[in-house]
Amino acid sequence: MNTTVEARRNTPPLTPQYFLKLASIVAGFVAVWWAWNRLNMSVLSFFDDLQNVVNLFKRMYPPNFSDTDRIISLTFETLWIALLGTFGAVILSYPLAIGAAANTTKHPIIRFLCRGIITLSRAVPELILAAVFVVAYGPGPFAGILALALHSIGMIGKLFSDSIEEASEASGEAVTSVGATRRQRIRSAVIPQALPSFIATALFRLEINIRGSAVLGLVGAGGIGQLISESLETIQYKPALAAVIVVFFVILIVELVSTSIRQSLIGEAATQQQNKQRGRLSSFINRRDALLNKTAYEKRSISAPWTTERVFRTTAFVSFAVLLFFAISTVNIEWSNTIQNTPKMGTVLRQMFPPSAGGEYSLMIKGLIESLAIAIVSTFLGVLVALPLGVLMARNINVRRFMSFGTRIGVLGLRGIPELIIAVIFVSAMGLGPVPGTLALSVTVAVFASKLFADSLEEVLPAPREAVSAVGASKVQEFFSAVVPQFISPFVSNFFYLLDVFFRSSTVLGIVGGGGIGYLLISSIRVYQFKLTMAIVISVYLIVLIIEWLGLGMRRLFK
Amino acid sequence: MSPHLEVVANESVATITVAALSKRFPNGTLAVDDISFTVPQGQVVGLLGLSGSGKSTLMRLINGLHTPTSGTVNVLGVDVGQAKPADLRDLRRQLGFIFQQFGLVGRATCLENVLIGSLGRLKGPRIGIRTYPKALRVMALERLDRVGLGAQAFQRAETLSGGQMQRVAIARSLMQEPKVLLADEPVASLDPESSNQVLDLISTIAREDGMTVLCSLHQVELAIGRTDRLIGLRDGKIVLDQMTAGINPNVVMDLYRRHGTSDEVREASYA
Ligand SMILES: Nc1ncnc2c1ncn2[C@@H]1O[C@H](COP(=O)(O)OP(=O)(O)OP(=O)(O)O)[C@@H](O)[C@H]1O
Ligand SMILES: [Mg+2]
Repeated sequence: MNTTVEARRNTPPLTPQYFLKLASIVAGFVAVWWAWNRLNMSVLSFFDDLQNVVNLFKRMYPPNFSDTDRIISLTFETLWIALLGTFGAVILSYPLAIGAAANTTKHPIIRFLCRGIITLSRAVPELILAAVFVVAYGPGPFAGILALALHSIGMIGKLFSDSIEEASEASGEAVTSVGATRRQRIRSAVIPQALPSFIATALFRLEINIRGSAVLGLVGAGGIGQLISESLETIQYKPALAAVIVVFFVILIVELVSTSIRQSLIGEAATQQQNKQRGRLSSFINRRDALLNKTAYEKRSISAPWTTERVFRTTAFVSFAVLLFFAISTVNIEWSNTIQNTPKMGTVLRQMFPPSAGGEYSLMIKGLIESLAIAIVSTFLGVLVALPLGVLMARNINVRRFMSFGTRIGVLGLRGIPELIIAVIFVSAMGLGPVPGTLALSVTVAVFASKLFADSLEEVLPAPREAVSAVGASKVQEFFSAVVPQFISPFVSNFFYLLDVFFRSSTVLGIVGGGGIGYLLISSIRVYQFKLTMAIVISVYLIVLIIEWLGLGMRRLFK
Repeated sequence: MSPHLEVVANESVATITVAALSKRFPNGTLAVDDISFTVPQGQVVGLLGLSGSGKSTLMRLINGLHTPTSGTVNVLGVDVGQAKPADLRDLRRQLGFIFQQFGLVGRATCLENVLIGSLGRLKGPRIGIRTYPKALRVMALERLDRVGLGAQAFQRAETLSGGQMQRVAIARSLMQEPKVLLADEPVASLDPESSNQVLDLISTIAREDGMTVLCSLHQVELAIGRTDRLIGLRDGKIVLDQMTAGINPNVVMDLYRRHGTSDEVREASYA
């Protein structure tokens, strides 16, 4: 070194990247500012809005459960729609996933087609699909089931094909080496490896679809959502609250059951459970199973003995089959009518082409811009609330256990309520318009994002944190010096993921009067202007692609 | 009972005093079992022992990352196990700690990682180099120069090689101007050449600055020639404690023989 230390640069050099980061942060705030003004949001009126929501809840209380028969039958309808919709999606996704996975399909065109179908099925929100099916098949659960089934292919097909591709090549090769055909190889070597993750995926989607089916009633596609919107429209607040409470608990119960099954199938908890062979019950089970295996061997039995695991598996399978049969036989569908109506569906499809906005062009643009503004503001507000919540929830950050636990429980509870139900309530309290829609979406963003943030915080490496605290840094210093730098890149990618998800949500808020393109979208379906419907759907998809592309760039920049 | 030592330490200026120290983890593992020793100021001590013998646990007990189950640790006059959080923070500021896995913040630049070493002296959180006072930034550059990485000041830590990362970690410790340096297997994830470089750096700096060093290692040959004294652990107990000068390497190698009982090793070391 020929210069003295004092003379050398002691701040980071100002690289183009540095300015690019600065510019994109500024651009982000400008976008929020623009969207905020566009929606005429105002911090001052938040208090009025809050007051209005509180007042509404006062009028809703106490809930009126007197229409018990209807509540029970619609609750079951909601469950059956979710179950059958998810089951339908699994049946449709299975061949598509095999067609889309590189290790099961060598033909590039088939693979491309299957992947294309999987991606496209996610492009249209399930409520819009449901509204279209209501036109063709009439109101009722069938439209809802079909909508959930088609829309869910996007996620289930993608995750199925991912887990097929994760299956180890070695066992596939071994099966091929004995002279098996391609289909035999898939059946004997690939699928058994992917099965636990298939089941977990299906259950996970079932949880999502329960929330979806609770609001299908808003467009006449069956389920309890119908009761909520009817009661609110006719200003019968007490039965509405009763229905909301039922939705909340149904979702919570399904989620708890499904999560516990999923965790026993895959992930850390599963391995922990397998390792834990200590308890008295499990040692009894182990001894019983060992005995069964021994007897089977001594008798030269050629069928597997009924070990605990086999009993468990068979019971699960049989109960699922019974549940499915029960759902199909009790759900209120005239199967003969649906077959008769299928040509009508063809007509609707044909009327969608060529897509065109026609005379509604300027309304469409206005609606799309409003939806984008709603998405930007609600993502911003939600993230603002979610950051501290996420820090509180992360088990590796918080010093006080009970606070972390309390926040987790609160967020888990709120997570059950679909955003459209929150939107319906806010709209009833504050009147029609984008502001209640934005606020409702912000609540959902906050709940959803705090979980994402907590998860990324929990993935922060412990070694740098320990090193920082070893130099005598305080907890707060350690958080900013060792945790925050590791959190920046997952934060950026989560942020754009949220923007993507909640832009899609903002396009259906209009169905309940919460602003955005949704109003025009649902009206176009109701007055059979299917060309406009298609034009809107395509524009929405283009905006989603732009958001994804922007997110990709930002992820790279902030890596 | 721990074996009695023939080491004649300068008792008047003891830097680290460990007395009847034990640590049992919540899962029942007794990682440190009734250990006592004293390290005088300026001594460079090598800590040897098989994997799982309790080296890391001992080091963590010394700087308060773990609390003792029984016994005491006294460092620079502070009873580590009983110290209040603020006192512990003050103490840690004077103890450098080098980790096997370096503990660098990968996304941050080398300079910022070195600056982190000064956090104990600063109030409030910092993020980004510009939030540190200029005098500290200059000092951090000097520390990087001292480990030979001045040119990499603005490179991200995650882009360095393992040996370079460990040198940045040493520079971070130097930022603390520590009286004691605790190094937990500083070269265990490095290749032989980087290992030599890093250990030479540590021992040179220790002698120049008169630092007391406790450094755990796996390779006996690396310890000989660079340390004043060797302490051997097995199953959480001290089974060897001798000055390095004139030690018989075979005696030390016995530490690494899985089947020898502690007694055999102890007898061998007195033979
Ligand atoms: N946080 C902990 N909880 C439970 N047991 C632990 C914990 N940390 C260490 N142990 C156990 O304490 C014993 C001593 O571990 P320690 O890490 O101190 O050994 P070591 O000598 O540093 O080994 P290595 O050379 O592998 O680093 C081991 O049996 C280890 O499994
Ligand atoms: Mg160790």
